[in-house]
Amino acid sequence: MTPTTPIRREALTPTRREALVLGAAALLTPRLARAATPATLQLSWLHSVQFAGSYIAQSRGYWGDAGLDVTLLPGGPNAPVEPPVVAGTALVGISAADYTAAAVNQGAPFRIIGVAMQKNPFAIASLAANPVADPRDLIGRRIGMALANMPVLEALCALNDVDIAGIEVVPTQYDAAPLVQGQVDCLLCWATDLPVAMRMQGIDSTVMLLADHGYAVHSQTYIATQDSLANRRADLVALMKGEIRGWGDYHAGPEAAANLTVQMFPDAGLDLETQKLQAERQVPLMFSDLTDAQGFGWFTDDTVAANIETLALLGKPVSADLWDRSILEEVYGAG
Amino acid sequence: MIRMPRVVVWAALLLGWEVFARLTADGFVIAAPTEIAQYVWRNTGLLWRATGVTGWVALQGFVWGNLAGVMLALAAVLIPRAERGLLTLALLAFCLPLVATGPILRVLYGPGQGPQVTLAALSVVYTTFLSVLVGLRAVPQSWLDLARSYGRGPVTLLALVRLPAALPYLVAGLQIAAPAAFLGAMVGEFTGAERGLGVLTVRALRGLDLPATWAVALLAAALSMAAFAGIGALGRRLSLAPPEILLAAPDDARGRAGASIQGIAAVAVALAVWQGAMDAFDLPRFFARRPGDVWDYLVTAPEAGAHRANLLAALGETLTVALPGYGAGLLLGAGLAALLTLAPPLAALVLPVSVALRSIPIIATAPLIVWALGRGAAGSITVVAVMIFFPTLVACLHGLARAPRPLMDLFDSYDAGPLRRLWGVQLPAMLPAFFASARMAVPAAILAVTTAEWLATGRGIGALMATVASTSDYAMLWSAIAVIGLAALATHAGVAALERAVLRRTSPEQLAG
Repeated sequence: MTPTTPIRREALTPTRREALVLGAAALLTPRLARAATPATLQLSWLHSVQFAGSYIAQSRGYWGDAGLDVTLLPGGPNAPVEPPVVAGTALVGISAADYTAAAVNQGAPFRIIGVAMQKNPFAIASLAANPVADPRDLIGRRIGMALANMPVLEALCALNDVDIAGIEVVPTQYDAAPLVQGQVDCLLCWATDLPVAMRMQGIDSTVMLLADHGYAVHSQTYIATQDSLANRRADLVALMKGEIRGWGDYHAGPEAAANLTVQMFPDAGLDLETQKLQAERQVPLMFSDLTDAQGFGWFTDDTVAANIETLALLGKPVSADLWDRSILEEVYGAG
Repeated sequence: MIRMPRVVVWAALLLGWEVFARLTADGFVIAAPTEIAQYVWRNTGLLWRATGVTGWVALQGFVWGNLAGVMLALAAVLIPRAERGLLTLALLAFCLPLVATGPILRVLYGPGQGPQVTLAALSVVYTTFLSVLVGLRAVPQSWLDLARSYGRGPVTLLALVRLPAALPYLVAGLQIAAPAAFLGAMVGEFTGAERGLGVLTVRALRGLDLPATWAVALLAAALSMAAFAGIGALGRRLSLAPPEILLAAPDDARGRAGASIQGIAAVAVALAVWQGAMDAFDLPRFFARRPGDVWDYLVTAPEAGAHRANLLAALGETLTVALPGYGAGLLLGAGLAALLTLAPPLAALVLPVSVALRSIPIIATAPLIVWALGRGAAGSITVVAVMIFFPTLVACLHGLARAPRPLMDLFDSYDAGPLRRLWGVQLPAMLPAFFASARMAVPAAILAVTTAEWLATGRGIGALMATVASTSDYAMLWSAIAVIGLAALATHAGVAALERAVLRRTSPEQLAG
């Protein structure tokens, strides 16, 4: 991957000496002198390496450099991202194209302004001894999942000509126990969480990424309201600038990012080795030839068109207007 | 019977647990005591800090929630006309599911612990309100007549007669509230928190980290047990003697018609509060739907028929599980209370287990119950029964202890056995508390069944709410909340009618306004 180092990203990443100077400046200048604008970023889950790019941006002062004072709001099992963004409590939220599409169809004025996960993290995890390596393997198997995700399974089946009637769906809570206990043969989950947990417990699993079987849904997307896009453009640009620098550093050293995460949130109950493995496994989801060429967070008319197709299968019809690249263009254009 | 030293019994129990856990290790269900101890040893600092955070939130919620509960009960006694309205509001507030309150509280408070404290407080208001209300009424008619004959008004009556009579009931209410506040604080962390025992629970469950799951659950249980025991000891310190014999003429002044008018008025007030609160805080319609939106969605919209059909089908599925679980939990609670009266030493075993079951989040216990009983109706019914039998047990125990002493003495002097005494004196004395807990259990049963549906069965209104919350279908979510609220009110009214019919014969003083 290294030969095509993105010129634009390099322009954003300070050299080591610059970083030292910046760091010293940050220590010496009183915080208030610059009167940074406050802004909140609503994360989609509890603190973990999943958001490490943001932690890097915060701890290295990338947002401060851009004149922004960012508060990171953790998510949780009962903390949907969309309400605080609609209400204006959060300037930007970390959502996913399917959630955003559903919210927009319910009247939320959202635009997707950046895409952190180019490949959707949804996967089917099974035990290595009884693997589901292809969508056709699902026939005759019991799959454990939240019933709320039925449309995901339906879309996967439609994309791969699999008869969904041949699959037994078992509603389960979101953890690996039902699979390990043999209540089900496979789980619908993120490739970066439950399989990582099983690996840490010494259980080998087969992970079939839905994105490798036609399921094109942008994930960990940055959403903002149309009102913010009209009236708080500079803040959005500054926030994305910090994100892009943070995730650039993450790409260069996922392990360091895991270390930083555990250091920054000592009370979150994070296990360093687990975080390192998760950090490593999410790299191929977030960085691709596209991001190498265009920069982190980028999306094209083609990837958007593929998303619109899958979202239609999910029963969430949207138009290309849902995506707005103007903020990214401003960030990368300005260098 | 050979009396074994306690240490031996405990050691044997621990050893059995260890062996069983090791034998079922492949199932990832039960953590062995040694694994739990290891986890605690390695993470003492983490657990200590998390306990501090969650404990402080629970304490604040406990204080505010109980204050609110007591104030509501006082208001209900001073202004009898307002009682039904207050009761309805408290019941509905208790029924609000986390999927709806979580985002709203987070938007109102922003980052920080506001939502957690509020949820901890909300989880105790209703039970304390009911307990104290029963206590304020547990006064012999003759005392009230005496005070009135001296020309004393309702405020003096309250201070001199009713408040002292209510103290034992307040203690029972606080005992029920302690684990509930702790659970509320933990679950409150699901709305987006950086630290605390709730955060650690979610992390441990997803990480398949059994020792951590069990360590946190045991910690939460131990703290709740300590609070439960501490409040009980305080109650005994105050040496709250059982009341004198209660004799009163039944008061049938309030007819059926008056009650239903009050009921309708209460629902109207609830709707006004719903609309008013959302407007006052200017909450966006996107996720904070008003009563009118729900009406549109269920009645006037073109697809209203389909919406209704969806919702009612889910409600039907929920009720077929909730009602048997509710009945089983009540019977279990009252039955255990009676059993403990006959065999007091059993309390040392039964009470801690009961408190523990009440203070551990269902998301941590449900996997265990599902593993043991499967994903069918048996599992869900058990989850419901487990969640409601504890308040019933505590309330009934206190009720049993309130048996009038002269009557007990009378039975003793005739050499009546303990069974005869239980049947003739103690059970009738327990009835007001039993009915109070039957009413208390209505929203708790709803909470339990919807959680079980969301996590285990994927059916009913709990699964429906989880699904629509994840697709931002807030019109359906608020419609489901409204329907749940109505179902709770209907169940509550049914229990209240039964209560009137029974208490008219056994404890008429409870019916006096």
